[in-house]
Amino acid sequence: MKHSDSITSVQFAIIIAGTILGVSMLALPRFVVEKAGNAAPLASLVGILITLIGLIGLLYLGRRFPNHTFVGYSKVLIGKVFGTFIMVVFLIAALILIGLETRQFAEVLVGGLLPDTPIHFSIFAMLFLCAIINFGNVSSFAYIHLFYFPMIVSPLLSVLLPSFKDIEYYHLLPITGNEVTLSQFMSGAVVIMAAVSNYYILSMVIPYLKNPKKCVSAGIWGFLLSIFFVLLLVIVSLGIFGEIKIQEMLWSTLILARMVEVPGEILARIDAIFIISWIFAVFTTLLSYYFIVVRGVAEILNTTKYRFISFVTLMISFFIALFPKDIYDVYTFLSYFWTGSVMFYFVYVFFLLAIAKFRRMKGSI
Amino acid sequence: MSPFFRKRTKSEQPKQTIPKSEIMIENEDKRISSNLKSNIEYFYKIFKNDMDFLLREFNVGGKSAALLCLASLVEREEVERDIIQPLQNSNIGLTNADLIPAILEKEIIYHADVEKETNVSTLIQSITIGKVIVLIEGVEQAILFDAIKQEKRAIDQPETERVVRGPKDGFIEQISTNVALLRYRLPVPEFRIEETEVGARTRTKVAVCYLEDIANEKLIEEIKKRIDAIQIDGVLDAGYIEQFVQDNPWSPFPQILNTERPDKVVGNLLEGRVAILVEGSPFALIAPATFNQFYQTSEDYYDRWLITSAIRAIRILALFFSLTFSSFYVTVLSFHPELIPSGFVVAASSGRHGVPFPVFVEVLLMEIAMEILREATIRMPQQVGGALSIVGVLVVGQAAVQAGFVSPITVVIIALSTIGSFATPSYNVATAFRMLRFPLIILAGTFGLLGLAVGIILILNHMISLRSLGVPYMIPFSPGNLSTAKDSIVRAPLNWLKERPKEINPKIKNELEDE
Repeated sequence: MKHSDSITSVQFAIIIAGTILGVSMLALPRFVVEKAGNAAPLASLVGILITLIGLIGLLYLGRRFPNHTFVGYSKVLIGKVFGTFIMVVFLIAALILIGLETRQFAEVLVGGLLPDTPIHFSIFAMLFLCAIINFGNVSSFAYIHLFYFPMIVSPLLSVLLPSFKDIEYYHLLPITGNEVTLSQFMSGAVVIMAAVSNYYILSMVIPYLKNPKKCVSAGIWGFLLSIFFVLLLVIVSLGIFGEIKIQEMLWSTLILARMVEVPGEILARIDAIFIISWIFAVFTTLLSYYFIVVRGVAEILNTTKYRFISFVTLMISFFIALFPKDIYDVYTFLSYFWTGSVMFYFVYVFFLLAIAKFRRMKGSI
Repeated sequence: MSPFFRKRTKSEQPKQTIPKSEIMIENEDKRISSNLKSNIEYFYKIFKNDMDFLLREFNVGGKSAALLCLASLVEREEVERDIIQPLQNSNIGLTNADLIPAILEKEIIYHADVEKETNVSTLIQSITIGKVIVLIEGVEQAILFDAIKQEKRAIDQPETERVVRGPKDGFIEQISTNVALLRYRLPVPEFRIEETEVGARTRTKVAVCYLEDIANEKLIEEIKKRIDAIQIDGVLDAGYIEQFVQDNPWSPFPQILNTERPDKVVGNLLEGRVAILVEGSPFALIAPATFNQFYQTSEDYYDRWLITSAIRAIRILALFFSLTFSSFYVTVLSFHPELIPSGFVVAASSGRHGVPFPVFVEVLLMEIAMEILREATIRMPQQVGGALSIVGVLVVGQAAVQAGFVSPITVVIIALSTIGSFATPSYNVATAFRMLRFPLIILAGTFGLLGLAVGIILILNHMISLRSLGVPYMIPFSPGNLSTAKDSIVRAPLNWLKERPKEINPKIKNELEDE
């Protein structure tokens, strides 16, 4: 089938980058340092390289089946019943992620900006923004990502660039860390892998590319674009705060933002402005999850009633978001989830790729 | 699934048609008889004692004849000089009844536009649009003359789009004059003006104008299709057509540009867009239109590009101010005073000493007062306009502050956001933004900065998802497009703007062919 609304390679790359830069960036440096200590930058690099392999695997799958989404070729490759079952698990995982990420950001908002506003409103507002998007139109989804991308990058840069002068290089040394065991190092890498694993959105939009054959290079570019910021963030945070101090902070990136001074004293609290502008980043990430859930459910049920599905998704994810007791609870859930999802994504993709190679199956144009 | 979420399919939607005029149905197949008297009586029965119904009886070559028309619509001098005078003066012997109309047309009548017609319903229709008919005893045909006189005003400078530099002529109500203004600027054989009629009762002329060699056929076809599908009794202004042709009737944003300036229309035609002229309206519609066009003026292209680009940036800033400034003020003062330097907070809150309302209510009240003032200025007769501005400035501004009703800083903020919206060249986009700031103030006043951000994201998402005849509304901001971006916030030098906007798929991509 040929889709009437299509997206360009640039939009494809931006969708991946915009999805990866999300709420997890606020606490990511702390998480990695907690696990891997001074070796955090190196662990991040290793994690990213491993993720890159998974990404390329997924991109090749997409290129092999240019007419099918993730849901579509799962069914084709491992049978209707089994493929549908795994996809249902995958979609439920995405649904839970929507809830947890929303809750995480709502906690940031309550902690940093609106101490008196009930958390229900923040959660509902973020979910509502996603729910009323018209998911029937893939190009609109791409346009939204493209439009907000500069608004995600510019606050990040305005926090990172002025911070360079405060970096103490001895904080970064030794690069291999102070007596870090291999398992500690690898768990640091897994945190990064989990944080950037939401590049999975690409498997749902490849069929809408103008030229699906070009997806591999565009996908890698999009991934590298966001990874550049992730690595920079980890290095700058560690370089400024050091291994010990960073572990005392809940959201280290916000503290980084607080250190920025604006000449002329127009604005007093940069971190509040940063939280607000980070809404764009969180919104685009949530939107991608939402897109996976809504389009995936619609494809499994073989319908186009996106509005109804997104309404139901809003209800369910709202309650999932309210489920954890507090922010530490959220992170406990997330850490279980991350390890599981990274394993699942990795194993499943290469399993599919192996079957496709073995059975010599190919999606036709 | 519940019917609440279900869309009605095409076949379920009620089909509506407008009933045809009964007089027209009655006379659908009726023909003129050879008896002059019965013919005249027949028309009398329809037009009865209408004040301007004119019947003039005379003789042509020994046969009695009659001239019928609506005197208010025809050029009387022309009728006397070119029709009645030669007919009465003729002394050709008319014997063969069938040949009479042809002989009269070829030898006697001077008038340029002559037709022959037998169908009664067509004749009735012709009289109502200002044609003159001549009936002759014993002839089963009527002769039709086009002697329409239109009441029209002089070509004037457009009221809504003034320029300092550039042409000062604007469209008027008569479509023929408007077409002439366009033809005068576009003397090429490729310029097409296709006419249709819309409105079952007003039968308004609607002309679709485009450059045949540039505009995309699919676009033209789609616009014609949408115009043909219009089912309505009357079209009184181009606004009717706009509302039927646009993509999303639920959006607050205009998706079709309207302008009073012929130069702007020609500029858009050259880019490959389509213009729609409507009889009786001094506004031309231009489709497709994107947000990019609504903050541009035709003057932008007549002046130096650096200056123009700076002015455009100011316009965008003003538009953004008009949308968010007052709500940002509300949220900062009532929820996040730590966001702004302490000096400003002290100044703002000391000015608010004694003000009985919270900031949220204060700003909302002042904004409503401002809108009332603006609406009153438009509607009221010009003679009392001076009085209104005194009331507005003194009572709403100074007296309210002195009475301690509002704080001076609030007045400054409201004034800034209101003036900001007046800096937008397009009145309907400015109004859309002005109205949208009320929900934003309410969101900001109840949920603080988060509410404001959510409101802005909602508006942006809507604008990004919007399409005008298939063209993304926010191009070139998203999706990006380099050729269009050259003429967005920055207006690049004219010799960089040779490429036509890609999003409307013009048939000729560049002004100059590559050799």
